[in-house]
Amino acid sequence: MVRRLAAVCPHAAAAGLAPDQPLAEARAICPGLAVIDADPAADRAALEGLAGWAERYTPLAAPDTPDGLVLDITGCEHLFGGEAGLAGDLARRLERFALPYRIAIAGTQGAAWALARSPTSRGPITRIPPHGEAEALSVLPVALLRLDSRSVAGMRRLGLRSIGELARQPRGAVTARFGALPTRRLDQAFGRIEEPVTWTRPPQPWEARLAFVEPIGTPDDLGRALDHLAADLCCRLEAAERGATQVEAVFIRLDGMRPAISIATALPGRDPMHLARLLRDKVPSVDPGFGIDAAVLIAHATEPLRAPQSSLGAIAAEAAMPLAATLDTLANRLGADHLWRPAPFDSHVPERASIRAPALASRPVMPAPSWEYDPSAERPIRLFRRPEPIEATAPVPDEPPIMFRWRGALHRVRAASGPERIAAEWWRRTPDESQSEVNRVRDYYRVEDNAGARFWLFRLGLDGTPRWFLHGLFG
Amino acid sequence: MRDECKEQIENLSFVHPLPSSPHDVTPDASLEALRARLAGLQPARARGVWRFGDERVDGCLPGGGVPRGVLHEVSAGGIEAESGAVAAAFLACVLSGMAPAGDVFWIAPTADLYPPGLLPYGFDPGRLVQVLTRNDSETLAVLEAVLRSGAAVAAVGEAGRLGRVAAHRLHLACLRRGSTGFVLRRWPHGRQGDGEAPIAAVTRWDIAAAPSAAAVFAEAGREPGLARWRVRLTHARGGVEGSWIMQAPGGADASHSLRVVAELAPAAAAQPVRSVR
Repeated sequence: MVRRLAAVCPHAAAAGLAPDQPLAEARAICPGLAVIDADPAADRAALEGLAGWAERYTPLAAPDTPDGLVLDITGCEHLFGGEAGLAGDLARRLERFALPYRIAIAGTQGAAWALARSPTSRGPITRIPPHGEAEALSVLPVALLRLDSRSVAGMRRLGLRSIGELARQPRGAVTARFGALPTRRLDQAFGRIEEPVTWTRPPQPWEARLAFVEPIGTPDDLGRALDHLAADLCCRLEAAERGATQVEAVFIRLDGMRPAISIATALPGRDPMHLARLLRDKVPSVDPGFGIDAAVLIAHATEPLRAPQSSLGAIAAEAAMPLAATLDTLANRLGADHLWRPAPFDSHVPERASIRAPALASRPVMPAPSWEYDPSAERPIRLFRRPEPIEATAPVPDEPPIMFRWRGALHRVRAASGPERIAAEWWRRTPDESQSEVNRVRDYYRVEDNAGARFWLFRLGLDGTPRWFLHGLFG
Repeated sequence: MRDECKEQIENLSFVHPLPSSPHDVTPDASLEALRARLAGLQPARARGVWRFGDERVDGCLPGGGVPRGVLHEVSAGGIEAESGAVAAAFLACVLSGMAPAGDVFWIAPTADLYPPGLLPYGFDPGRLVQVLTRNDSETLAVLEAVLRSGAAVAAVGEAGRLGRVAAHRLHLACLRRGSTGFVLRRWPHGRQGDGEAPIAAVTRWDIAAAPSAAAVFAEAGREPGLARWRVRLTHARGGVEGSWIMQAPGGADASHSLRVVAELAPAAAAQPVRSVR
């Protein structure tokens, strides 16, 4: 297999080397050639990183393998002082990265692609006026239409060297000879048909972005940026009468990495102070690297949220506000599964009688079931997640123990009540469990020791040697 | 001279200007007005007290009851210092009386509080928000955040170590919005409590289990009666210490109130409660 050159540096190009040249030939031309193995995967990853970084200019940025970027700057250029300002800013930053570049701004992707790679263009930045594509492209070689090499070679044999010459040929003849691609590329380049582009990230309807003049890195600066973004986003949410429940802040680093923090709220909200406070809590987890170039705040989930009306209902809503804010803060700091409201569940198995309901539901589906107290079935105030095995001495198998040892201490039972028989729920049993029916029954006793401490014990199994467990403690 | 002063005071742009007529201005009246204004500016200290309903207990407490909007500490000795069962039950009784409505946060590094077990003490678990933390310091931080926000009428934090600074911060957080804070001193397995820590809480309670009545008298049934606790008030700012045997509510008793069964003599109160260990 012949090793070929994938890319050459300017010095090598000056020495007469070119991509696609066999390596042996290149070595013959230039004996001192330094060769580095091509790594297309790493190139692609670096290009994707650069595309991510380029989102500081527009939300629509995509890598164009192997060596280009596509940015849709429609509607974004005025933020950087027009097309020329944007191109100049991009060029300055790329220079700072020591990346060679060619920039072209045109009305179509095809035209920009061709102009950026044109050997005749003057200077690294090319800009053509609106609807000037046909004129600008007419002198360029046909290879810049993104055609396959066979078509290009065929056109050269026919004497069709420039795009203008190709465009003057009858469409039918071109299509018959070279297939549908050349005419389609021409149409795309001249803006006669649309060209689909696969953007890295689909555009979000609710996002705010902020590009910085100089890279920032301190947590204070990031926090201030979040304040701005939150104010911006919330302002738009308010205009649309919506509130956000899931918000993500993405920081675009100089090296293309995108550290992100995300928060969720129980109730839809658009209070910039609250949003910024929740986000600021997580700023220390962001690694700014060599600096952060832009920040984007995206609301991934929004819900309709009416502006509060000043009425009697507003008082109740106001009372719920500090609770909602506190719950959000805690849920984002500890994790949403670290805080809950206990809710009754219709089960006689103690472990399942209480379930964890979300602390603040945005839309209660049904009124919460209420707790009912049954004096005949006292329940302990502390219930262990796993019943702890104890050594118990019971005179008769069916009676409560007279003493037991738990955590190394011996407790003499003074009084006991029970048993309360609780069986496993047969409908929740897995079929492969080999335990017999009698071993699924627990006989619970409430016992009090000599000191007055109260325990909830149970005996497992009716046949053979009973095993005793401590499941909870009474107050 | 006095007119000059008055002019200066008026220049301070008070919302309620002092009376302008020289006849109804006496130094006392303006002083009273200023005092009233100052009291309004201060953090709400007087959120009232919750009375046990028994003079033997209320008499020991500052203001005749357990004050709301401040920090309290509840601890227990022996095995109870690990499990925190009796202390939690006592707290449930106090909370159901002191804060009969509103959300109550219960913050702990272990999630072994069993909501149905709160029912006999008249505490509705539906208004409980349970927060699971990773360690003591996180518990105290969350407790402070909750108290500071005023989101809850009361908040309980289960923590072992409670330093002077942490306790003081918690107390200030209580004063800010009037939420009542409780620290339930609970030591994980195998660690010893520090009984001599500086006290920043307004009251400090030490709870231990006591033999129940029914078990003493009903020989035939040998069924445990209503739970009884030895409740020691070991510290009360502006009050005096005390020690009682109290009987918990429960069973058919629907009053949900703690009942003082006996008052213990100071000698009995001084007797060490940590029987185990």
